[in-house]
Amino acid sequence: MKKTNWTVWVSNLSLPILLIASVVTFALLNDKFLTQINLTNILVQNMHITVLSTAVLILMIIGGIDLSIGFQISVVAVLIARTIKEGILPIWAAIVLGILVCMVLALFNGAMSRILKSHTMIVSLGTMAVFQGLSFLLSQSKTYGGLPKEYQYIAQYRIGGWLPTSAVITLVLVLVVGWFLKRTYLGRHLYAVGDNPEAARLAGLNVWRIKYLAYLIAGALVGVTAVLLSSRTGSADSGMGPDLTFTGITACVLAGVALKGGEGTLWKVVVAVFVLGVLANGMQLVGLGTYPQYIAKGAIMLGSLYLSNRSQKAA
Amino acid sequence: MNVLELRSITKTYPGVTALDGVSVSFASGEVHAIVGENGAGKSTLIKVISGAERPDSGEIAIDGGSHKAMTPLLALEKGIAVVYQELIQFDALTVADNLFLGASDRGGLHAVDDRGNRKRAVEILREFNCAISPDALMRELSVANRQLVEIAKAVLKKARILIMDEPTAAITVEEQKCLFANIRRLKAEGVTILYISHRLEELFEICDRVTVMRDGKYVATKGIGEIDKGVLIRLMVGRELTNQYPAKEPAGDEVMLEVAHLSGNGVEDISFTLRRGEILGFAGLVGAGRTELMHLVFGAAHRTGGTVRIRGKELAHRSPSDALKAGIGLIPEDRKWQGCFVDKPVAWNITVSNLPKISRGLVVDRKKEAALAAKYRDAMQIRTPSLDQLVVNLSGGNQQKVVVAKMLAVEPDILIFDEPTRGIDVGTRYDIYTIMVDLAKQGKSILMVSSDMEELLGMSERIVVLHEGKQTGTLERAEFSQELVMALASGADDAAGCGCASDGTAEAGEGTKD
Repeated sequence: MKKTNWTVWVSNLSLPILLIASVVTFALLNDKFLTQINLTNILVQNMHITVLSTAVLILMIIGGIDLSIGFQISVVAVLIARTIKEGILPIWAAIVLGILVCMVLALFNGAMSRILKSHTMIVSLGTMAVFQGLSFLLSQSKTYGGLPKEYQYIAQYRIGGWLPTSAVITLVLVLVVGWFLKRTYLGRHLYAVGDNPEAARLAGLNVWRIKYLAYLIAGALVGVTAVLLSSRTGSADSGMGPDLTFTGITACVLAGVALKGGEGTLWKVVVAVFVLGVLANGMQLVGLGTYPQYIAKGAIMLGSLYLSNRSQKAA
Repeated sequence: MNVLELRSITKTYPGVTALDGVSVSFASGEVHAIVGENGAGKSTLIKVISGAERPDSGEIAIDGGSHKAMTPLLALEKGIAVVYQELIQFDALTVADNLFLGASDRGGLHAVDDRGNRKRAVEILREFNCAISPDALMRELSVANRQLVEIAKAVLKKARILIMDEPTAAITVEEQKCLFANIRRLKAEGVTILYISHRLEELFEICDRVTVMRDGKYVATKGIGEIDKGVLIRLMVGRELTNQYPAKEPAGDEVMLEVAHLSGNGVEDISFTLRRGEILGFAGLVGAGRTELMHLVFGAAHRTGGTVRIRGKELAHRSPSDALKAGIGLIPEDRKWQGCFVDKPVAWNITVSNLPKISRGLVVDRKKEAALAAKYRDAMQIRTPSLDQLVVNLSGGNQQKVVVAKMLAVEPDILIFDEPTRGIDVGTRYDIYTIMVDLAKQGKSILMVSSDMEELLGMSERIVVLHEGKQTGTLERAEFSQELVMALASGADDAAGCGCASDGTAEAGEGTKD
């Protein structure tokens, strides 16, 4: 019993410790790291990743993994940018359309995994290719740059001159999702369905209705991710999404979200996003470029898989 | 001459003695049946012979040598092969590949001799007189043909002792003829066949001797000519009924559940009624379709025909959630995989079916949740240090109580208990029985599936007996006898009509009802 408490403490504290350790390390290695500009940078660069990881968490709680989210982002970002640029819809309507489309894409993933009765990861590999094609058809391989100021303000505006709007939006979403997962019965249902679908079914839960709900919520969050990202960069193209899939899943794995479903804690996912974010930023500052960062991220993913396997065996 | 002899074999698992000093010998070139009820120890016996399990004590004599235990390798060397009920084969490979996998007599690295293998495959399959192409993929074959391939594989490995576990469970009558012809042929060649089956009639057709086991003990070995089915059944069930069961008040008259001609999910044309406060037992051997029937009633499986009425109102329910709303709850057979969420807390488990009711809007009311969980923890006397304890840390009996609590929290009128005491220690069993009787007293009606004969006879007011998906009888309390239940469960000679034996005698030892 005591041991359980102890291991829970360790597993709860290990991520914050890792975050602090990496902050201290980079602060010692480079004196530019702890400046206000750099810290704000880290914050702003990771807001859309936080929202995306929240979506990945929800999908992993119900026992799935979605490799297509990156191209969902591309489809939506390009769709919104093009609709705005070509003056088809006003900005707000374009955003609503984009998020709705993303929910449809997510639902499509869910429906496919139900119809094909295959593992969601493989299904999403197929839908990923579909979305990839879709986004390139939409963008015609062009980059839609120079999006209007009003659109860029969504992420870039500084409230009171310092607080980025993207941070406010992200904070609100994280709080809402956290509340939903922890306090509402629908959130409880998501965990039940992911933990043991057969037991959930026999307990009278409507397993697929619950899963579809999860897909819809995740889809909306991925849509928001696309908006935040394209608003921050002021442009959209088909290549902007794919890299994020890996980062989002790595954050969740690092946060100990169970691959078998039914487990996962939102605050840990958020901390994990910042661990990865600090690492990327710090490595850049100390002169290690993009490629060593890939290796570092991969190593973290593999390392945390090893750790989560070990803790599962210990339990 | 004996080819194989087991001497005082004992094998225990935590909490169960699966084999208790079993001694039995098998003669060369005989077909030797091993029979017994569910849990008699047949499977463990096979595992000990094939080397899959190591006995705690006793010895195994084979070829004049004696061994403390077999190992899979030793079993292979001694020519022992098992054709399991669930065949383990390589579906994506051809018949010839399957035949020769692992049968190579050359050591070291070498290329697979495909052509030679194919030729030998053709020869061996011709011996079996069946139309199986060596080039067919394993997954394209019927169950019966897969079995034949497995037997052929055993013959290729020069098996002298062939163990067949329920070989006729999933094959047609024609296929059975073919199988039996092959068994006779192998027997003529001097192969000893250990034949496990629930179907008693076929033993008289194919076997030379039969060994009966009961509760892990050896009962008797008889020449098939010395006995008839009635004797066999008495040997299988002849135990003293010693356990005490809590006294139960008689059921009311109000019909709560009426199932008529229900079909689907592997069962066919089942009809029964359940009265208020009644415990209705369901007997049958493994694979008789009892769990499948319960899932059908509960809406967890697709129904192809028939009706389910609750208090006279027809239910077109198509899902467990509909069934729960209509007042039927299921306590599933497999606690760990179907019943509970083991790595979640007790309170979480108890309330999971009931969340909208204890929520204000979308938000779960923590106080109501704790109150509901505490209420049913007390009602079920679940022994747990706290409601936040993870279910995985509880004992089997307490896990089962959590599952019952989860269903009761929905307040259903009808409860289905599927193997309510499987894997639960004796002390806690009585708790579960008391809970069931109390529930009946409160006016709940109970369907109880059980493989435990004592439990069935001790708890039920009536028993429905199933055999291979069909209803072979419905017994009133006055007619209860182990022999009659067993006879019906192993497929009475005429399966026509139920609610038999209206004279109410308990003397019905023979295999037929009339």
